[in-house]
Amino acid sequence: LAGPPSPPGLAPPGWRGPVDCVRANELCAGEPSCSSRYRTLRQCLAGRDRNTMLANKECQAALEVLQESALYHCRCKRGMKKELQCLQIYWSIHLGLTEGEEFYEASPYEPVTSRLSDIFRLASIFSGMDPAATSRSNHCLDAAKACNLNDNCKRLRSGYISTCSRELSATEPCSRRKCHKALRQFFDRVPGEFTFRLLFCSCKDRACAERRRQTIVPSCSYEDKDKPNCLDLRGACRADHLCRSRLADFHTNCQATFQFLTACPGDNFQACLGSYAGLIGFDITPNYVDASTTSITISPWCSCKGSGNMEEECEKFLRDFTENPCLRNAIQAFGNGTDVHPAP
Amino acid sequence: AALGLYFPRKEYLENVYIDESAGMPLLRIHALKDSREEMAHFHLCQNLIISRARSHENNWFQIREKTGVLYLSKSLDREDFNMLSVGNWMPLSKVMLYVFLSSHPFQEKECDSATRTTVFLSLINATAPACSSLTARQLCFTEMDLSFHIKENKPPGIFHQLQLPSVHHLCQNLSISYKLLAAEGVPFWYNENTTSVRVTQRLDREERERYELIAKCTVREGFREMQVEVPFLVNVLDEDDSPPFLPNGTDTADAVVEFNRKEGTVLAMLTVYDADTTPIYPLESSRKKYTGTIITDDPWISETFRVEHIFDEIHFSPNGSQVRGTRHEYKLVLNKSISVTEHRSFQLDVLVNDTEFHGPERSVMLHFNVSILPVSIQFSNITYQFTVNRNAERFAQIGKICIENCMKFRGVNITYKLLSPNGSCYPVSILQGREDKYGSLYVNDSSVLRRPECKEIQYIVQATDKQSRKHTKTLLTVVLEGTLLKKEEDCPDSCAISKHRAECEECGGLGVLTGRCQWRQGSGKGITTNYSTCTPSIKTCPDGICDVVEGRDPAVCPQDCTSGNIIGGHGKGIGNLGIKSGHGICYCFPRQNCYCEKDDIKEPLCDDVCKTVI
Repeated sequence: LAGPPSPPGLAPPGWRGPVDCVRANELCAGEPSCSSRYRTLRQCLAGRDRNTMLANKECQAALEVLQESALYHCRCKRGMKKELQCLQIYWSIHLGLTEGEEFYEASPYEPVTSRLSDIFRLASIFSGMDPAATSRSNHCLDAAKACNLNDNCKRLRSGYISTCSRELSATEPCSRRKCHKALRQFFDRVPGEFTFRLLFCSCKDRACAERRRQTIVPSCSYEDKDKPNCLDLRGACRADHLCRSRLADFHTNCQATFQFLTACPGDNFQACLGSYAGLIGFDITPNYVDASTTSITISPWCSCKGSGNMEEECEKFLRDFTENPCLRNAIQAFGNGTDVHPAP
Repeated sequence: AALGLYFPRKEYLENVYIDESAGMPLLRIHALKDSREEMAHFHLCQNLIISRARSHENNWFQIREKTGVLYLSKSLDREDFNMLSVGNWMPLSKVMLYVFLSSHPFQEKECDSATRTTVFLSLINATAPACSSLTARQLCFTEMDLSFHIKENKPPGIFHQLQLPSVHHLCQNLSISYKLLAAEGVPFWYNENTTSVRVTQRLDREERERYELIAKCTVREGFREMQVEVPFLVNVLDEDDSPPFLPNGTDTADAVVEFNRKEGTVLAMLTVYDADTTPIYPLESSRKKYTGTIITDDPWISETFRVEHIFDEIHFSPNGSQVRGTRHEYKLVLNKSISVTEHRSFQLDVLVNDTEFHGPERSVMLHFNVSILPVSIQFSNITYQFTVNRNAERFAQIGKICIENCMKFRGVNITYKLLSPNGSCYPVSILQGREDKYGSLYVNDSSVLRRPECKEIQYIVQATDKQSRKHTKTLLTVVLEGTLLKKEEDCPDSCAISKHRAECEECGGLGVLTGRCQWRQGSGKGITTNYSTCTPSIKTCPDGICDVVEGRDPAVCPQDCTSGNIIGGHGKGIGNLGIKSGHGICYCFPRQNCYCEKDDIKEPLCDDVCKTVI
């Protein structure tokens, strides 16, 4: 079992850990050589592919200088102030360099270092229930109760529920755009100890599992008249900086790998669950497909019908949701209240 | 000419350890051909792409141009590792290389050919593990699925080698052998000497598009024997090699335009099948590949009709196995609303063209027999007669006026008008109903009803089609009946304010037909659409629809029309208007709040004295 990677030893002097891109952009703007190279590079990347860009001497020089700057290694934080601006700066450099055609893209977000155990510790403070009662109770109902006892959670939860269940007309059951926005606010601004309990509660009966499935008001935020093709959905998501970043984050943190016992990168369940929750409120919103208690199946609202020659790629994309051992292990571990303890 | 060579895999994956020796083979890449004469040449892009969008000159990896073996030309030491993983925050350091393919020796080593595959190298921060410490799974296969794609109609060739070059190189004291388990008659052949897998004949996707085999590996070390099996999948890629055809030979459909004349109406639909797949992504390009064009010289026809093309995936079963195909549907749609006076019949031809199919039968002709029938704007030969109670209030709904077939009309706008008679008795008016289909007759001036000289009033109703200006008239008689009731004191002007049956039924209010509000007694439990409420007329309020007459004044039926707050258990109606369902009794103060609550005044309970009597 490989441990987490050793921190890179060759970071530029005076630079410890990733700076956020908004700050890095300010730093670069204050330095004439950096800001002019950044401008050059952005012009190089606009409308050109990586290879023609690398062939150009001026572009290459700009790239070499920028590789030493904080701008090159910058990252963003989930739910930070100016998150969108930060991501725009990030993709302005990275989109041209990674060609944007990769199946998996690297996450523009800072790595998650906290662990599920942190959540459990906090959760136990306000649940305070004895284990005998817990074994019979409906965990999803308990999660809703816990949320209602917290002003912030209650306000944002009732906010998205009323937005998502407001009927507009006979043909339009709700405003999907507003519902998604309200859901994003809920998952960005409410701490994981509340949101994870609602999303990933463990269930022994159908009523509980149905409540879990209904958490995000799927009739508005998830289901639609037609099921689009998953690659089409991915294309729509990648056209939007925020959605693209959340999807890249999901792929980075939940991509199943044999290198770790839990199948999760770095055995980090918290990171996987966090990036799953980060997808809710976008085109690619995932949810439980049914109220089954025995098997957990997650999927975005799409299918691989009509994929033509891209069927293999489409199914690979869909399997990262439907048959992902990392995601499944993370959800189950959260439900059971177990976590792996990282090697020190 | 397009390059015929292609890679049977999109991605390759291998691990690289610290200090592995130069010359170490890492993996082998194969190419498949378009024609037998072609020779494959491989070359590497001279840049390593490090995740996090960094690149570095490739000083370590090379590929044999003719065999496709990727090998280490220089060992990676710890310093190289650290340099390649700067800024790589992933739990795993990966570098990426592009391998290019050409049918002739490479002249300039540039990274610009379209035919490329991606090699991922996981950099493992340790020296290569001892062979004895590796599991059978690690010795036999990489982490990547054994999944390949082979184009249909192409010559046979080798597309994979099961043996891992790196393991074979390092663990020579182990005996590792493979077998490919397949059903009889599968067009693949496994060569035990080279461990290579060959496709033995041209494949046809329309026959079968997926082969599922099993690769079995046996590792022997002295007396120890380990076995591992993994799926080995081959997908057959499609090309446009099938012409369109008609299911059951149907190429003709009738399209009749009568009452429904609205723009956007689908008149008829014909279906065309194709055994080829059609990707719905990206949608527009697939639409362009399969066209449907109206063949006509008549500008009126091309302005009035359009063809809409949708397609979806269906399955054919040519010989037991299922393969995907496409159903194309061509709908004849009205491009604009057609006047009620239009009358003609003709045949409309639509040419469907599979533009990427290279053969003589690439197109089919579809025929629509179009008949546009005129519709008459007329009242059926009755005259309308309505009786109105003298105690009716303003906005009481008396009845509906409707020309023949009016409810079937779509895309025809009819306006109804009352032509006033001589005299001074005009108690009623008319309002357009929904979608201009009918007219709603209602009391507009209730004081007229009370005047003794007004008894029987005759109107002429006129209905006019907006587009053609065609109109028709009929006679309408309104008979006033009933005796005037004494008005109760202290009654509110809206029925909806009353919370109890008694006060409801002794008062009138806006919209009442006979001078008294009506009580609807709900029966349901909890929050129900059948809640108790006081209404001017149970027939129209609350029915979940805020109709034109109710919409004129918020006091008539707030239960259907309110947009204000509703306090208590309830569900809102469509578009946030009205109370769709409520708990107990719902009552409203017009222009203010509505309340839904359980009535807490109960029947007097049987007390102890009463119980002993019983």
